Amino acid sequence: MKFSEKDIRIFKGISLVSGIFTLVIAVTMIFSLIQLKMISPLDSPSLQSVKEQFDRDPDNRDKAEQVRAIDLMARKAYFSSRWQVETGSYLLLAGAIIFVLFQQLVAGSEKPGRSLRPDKPDIDAERIKNRRYLVISAGAVTIVAVISSFVLRKELPAPGRSSVIAETTEQHAVIAEAIQLSDVNYPFFRGEGSRGIAGGTGFATEWNGTEGKNIKWKIALPRPGKSSPVIWGNKLFITGAGNGEFVVYCIDKNTGEILWTGAGSGFPGSSSEEPESDAEAGMAVPTAAVSENEVCAIFGNGNLVCFDHDGKLKWGKNIGVPMVTYAFSSSLLISDKLLFVQYDSQDKRSLSGFDLNTGEQKWETPRSDRAVNSSPVLATFDGQLQVLINGNPNVSSYDPVDGKELWSLPGVSGDVATSLAVNSKMVYAVSDYYKLNALKPGRNGSTVWEDNTFTPDVSSPVANDRYLFVTTGSGDAACYNAETGDTLWSHYFENPFYASTIIADNKVWMLDRSGIMHIVEAGGILKIISSSPIGENTDCTPAFSEKKIYIRGRENLYCISEN
Amino acid sequence: MKERKSKSGSRRDFVKTAGRLLLAAPVLTLPVILSGKSDAKGYVWQIDPYKCTSCELCRTSCVMTPSAVKCTNAFPMCGYCDFCPGYLRQGAKAFNTAAENQLCPTGAIIRKFVEEPYFEYTIDETLCDGCSKCVKGCADFGNGSLYLQIMHNLCVNCNQCAIARKCPSDAVIRVPATEPYMRKELKKS
Amino acid sequence: MKKLRRLKKYIPYFIFVLLFIWHSVLYAQQQRFPRPEFEGGYTFPTHQFLNQRAPMWEYMDVAVLVGALMVTAWIALKKRSRQGLVWISLFSLAYFGFYRQGCICAIGSVQNMSLALFNDSYSIPLPALLFFIIPLIFALLFGRVFCAGVCPLGAIQELTGFKQVRVPKSVEMVLAVIPFVYLGLAVLFAATQSQFLICRYDPFVGIFRLDAPYTMIIFGSLLLIVGIFVNRPYCRYLCPYGVLQNIFSRFSVKHVTISPAECRDCRLCESGCPYDAILQSDPAPDVEKPKQSFKGSIIYFLMIPVLAAAFAVILYNFAPSLSVMNNNVKLAREIRLEKEEGIKAVSKAAVAFYESGKTEDELFEEERQIIGRFRKGAPWVGIFLGLSLGIGLFRLTIRKIRTFYEPDRGRCYSCGKCFKFCPVKIKT
Repeated sequence: MKFSEKDIRIFKGISLVSGIFTLVIAVTMIFSLIQLKMISPLDSPSLQSVKEQFDRDPDNRDKAEQVRAIDLMARKAYFSSRWQVETGSYLLLAGAIIFVLFQQLVAGSEKPGRSLRPDKPDIDAERIKNRRYLVISAGAVTIVAVISSFVLRKELPAPGRSSVIAETTEQHAVIAEAIQLSDVNYPFFRGEGSRGIAGGTGFATEWNGTEGKNIKWKIALPRPGKSSPVIWGNKLFITGAGNGEFVVYCIDKNTGEILWTGAGSGFPGSSSEEPESDAEAGMAVPTAAVSENEVCAIFGNGNLVCFDHDGKLKWGKNIGVPMVTYAFSSSLLISDKLLFVQYDSQDKRSLSGFDLNTGEQKWETPRSDRAVNSSPVLATFDGQLQVLINGNPNVSSYDPVDGKELWSLPGVSGDVATSLAVNSKMVYAVSDYYKLNALKPGRNGSTVWEDNTFTPDVSSPVANDRYLFVTTGSGDAACYNAETGDTLWSHYFENPFYASTIIADNKVWMLDRSGIMHIVEAGGILKIISSSPIGENTDCTPAFSEKKIYIRGRENLYCISEN
Repeated sequence: MKERKSKSGSRRDFVKTAGRLLLAAPVLTLPVILSGKSDAKGYVWQIDPYKCTSCELCRTSCVMTPSAVKCTNAFPMCGYCDFCPGYLRQGAKAFNTAAENQLCPTGAIIRKFVEEPYFEYTIDETLCDGCSKCVKGCADFGNGSLYLQIMHNLCVNCNQCAIARKCPSDAVIRVPATEPYMRKELKKS
Repeated sequence: MKKLRRLKKYIPYFIFVLLFIWHSVLYAQQQRFPRPEFEGGYTFPTHQFLNQRAPMWEYMDVAVLVGALMVTAWIALKKRSRQGLVWISLFSLAYFGFYRQGCICAIGSVQNMSLALFNDSYSIPLPALLFFIIPLIFALLFGRVFCAGVCPLGAIQELTGFKQVRVPKSVEMVLAVIPFVYLGLAVLFAATQSQFLICRYDPFVGIFRLDAPYTMIIFGSLLLIVGIFVNRPYCRYLCPYGVLQNIFSRFSVKHVTISPAECRDCRLCESGCPYDAILQSDPAPDVEKPKQSFKGSIIYFLMIPVLAAAFAVILYNFAPSLSVMNNNVKLAREIRLEKEEGIKAVSKAAVAFYESGKTEDELFEEERQIIGRFRKGAPWVGIFLGLSLGIGLFRLTIRKIRTFYEPDRGRCYSCGKCFKFCPVKIKT
């Protein structure tokens, strides 16, 4: 093909124009692409803020209209940039084809530039240069090899790094005493170690709250709550909240007299905020923890207080307002002058240790799982005292000294609200609509058995070395062989269970929501001893001390003992 | 001089033939070695719905714009809820199709009344960009019937899927081309 | 009955309220709400799950590949038509590029081969195997005809290389090392199931699809713009499959020649090759000192194993650093950092890991195994790199007597640009 010079000039012009066109389209397309990938249409700040305004004022029709208008605009913008990218790519292709075509025509009609190079290069000289390159590069590479051998030796990772663990186990020998059951003290939610097992014997099995049979005393608590009573010596502690007040009551466990009332708000650093929560749950769901000289309580807004047994505030702080959809509910634990707080919020999950005397935060270990409503449990495995958390989806164990995670095993997911049951060998995690998961604890632990016939939603299971007892939200109670998972018995009690089941005096104490305590023998064959009503609805876990049982109802606190 | 030239020439020929055989041998034996390991049907990429954590990376990682990943509803698992956590955004005040209540950024979910009290939710795939907001909502609060799949009419079947490279839970895997979908209602976790 | 059904409407709320009360939370991939019992004879809508084109068509691609290779070889070697090569390039660009959208391609198939050879869990799709082998067989027979007219990546660059700017020889030599490294790493990463490096940095696939992550498009456009002046930049300075083509083509049975008949040593073609792939004539000098040059070359020859060994050591030492390209290793490092130094693992992978219920020990064990595989594979990559570099440099130090101009069989793409520079014509 031969073209005149004029033709060639025209071709050059066309290809130049199409080249510029292609470039412009390419740049705009790249911007559109970035926009499409980076921006989600409904993330625009203006839309977000209008939506927030609307949420605060849901009846405002104008605001709704405004949301819709901005929403429509955002979506339109999104789809038009989608369209831009689609059409843009075809324009780009067309432009590029024209450019290439005319460039080819121009190039095709150019004469080959048959310019001779002035001289043949000196091939021999080049060869000698290349020899030098060969030797130099071989030398350089060898040197790098030697250096890298020294520098990168330690790069080899030693997975596990067991030395660190060995060190900390020594520290533990000091505090690794087994948890002993006291028949007086019942210091935490679900008793000593929060394991659901109470000491002592001789508890009443027959009572009636309305008739007053075997009711030693009964008092109305001024402020309601879902927290359970805890006991040290002759003092019983319980929390309540309402009307903007957060309180800790200290009650004489023998007479029912309120000895003092401590305020869980109004101290320096406290929060008066009341985060949105389910109305029935309220701000006093977590149970207090008590030790020899202190009592600590936490409330739904993150106010954490510590009193001595005479009601003097030792320290108080706010550890952050937990943002949970329903209510903050993790109870406290104390071990060796450290207070453990399991913090579950939408923005942060952690376990912290606070100095019992000063309130100073000694450590905080972030937990990466999802927010749960369970409470921590203290248990000893392999001579190591550990704090266990029924997380979602993992059951995790932490060192009470420094908060380091000891192990983490797949547990349960779904609505994780129950705390763990433990015995000397195993850990049991459960969540409703999911499963009951029996785990061998430890770094090399695993699931031993699982079942999904009886899965409590709120009521925590309890285990001794032979049996595991569960009470469910549908009113079923069941007993499993703790080691193998065989169902030994089950019984339908009609009313749902929320309170956690307790083993005491070789009996299983199961308190249903209507206030009836079902007492059965702690064995593999179902023997119902009695069913005793308290006379009002109950969701809280009972406490046991010196032949007395303490039950919190909706309004009243009861002390039950054989007359 | 002529002699030397021919000598070096024949040496060169020998090297060439040797090299040729040396290279041809492995190439020709490769099919034999891999005969037991080659697959006539090939693979396509798919998302294992039980591994997916609805992290939203599918929307941005796919080489296609919009992503070839689309949401789909496993109807036999769906609760047909009026209060659909995949359709309504958190904090929605009313259960209806108003823009201020919708979760989907592209309005790709179609809500249709079936009978009291049930609503059917279908996905308009031409609008869906695979952001997985609804999947997360349904998995967290509902039955988990909404799930993501790579739509093979859109997927260009890259040699290595760009989403697979980014997927934090290794949910994007190679599946036999004869069974290109992992339907959630048919598979167990 | 009707009343009951009315009540059912409230079941979800009821359950929600239950969940609200006191202890309760979110999350579960479970059947929370019972499957509805429809009264009105509702049936589930059927969703059309569309399939890709039938696998049969992949064999069509293989047939087209063989056909295109044969046509290219015929045009380049027999017809000697540059115009014909442009046309076949256009066809390949249209078919393998825009129609097949750049996947399946011979360059990427290197990784499938590596993955299949070193992993039992993956069996290679037959078309990928054929796409790997067939162009190499053709290279052994006719030189790099695949690069000349069949590879869509080559074609798009060939068609857009209008100006020819020569790259200084030293720069060219240094840049030409990159493809070897690229190939070695790509094979290593594929064999360790880490990632497909070549596909990840394929510059033109986005252009073929008219859609890609913008970074890919920017990279591709830049290469094309550079390619207008420095022709075929990807082929010369990046393409890992080109390395194999290079090696195979060196031993090709037949190859494109510059001159249709006997070379007259006129030097006119010297400036005809934009890739500097023409070997100049170098007739034997009058004065000979063959003995000395032989003795000297032995020392240089010994440099080859030295280089290979040194590279093997380097790569072995760097294996743990390279293994970071593996997602599991990356995750394990993040988790370990969190454990040992308290730096919180926040990546999506870490979140997913905690959700998956996999234990840290399992993850660390996996990491150890992957690093082990890197340690095993990396020295071989090192040996390959050392040998390539050593042999390449060594060849430059020895003299080859040549009385005519001919293409460098390794680096010549058989593009036919030099044809028009040769004054020799066959009279027909």
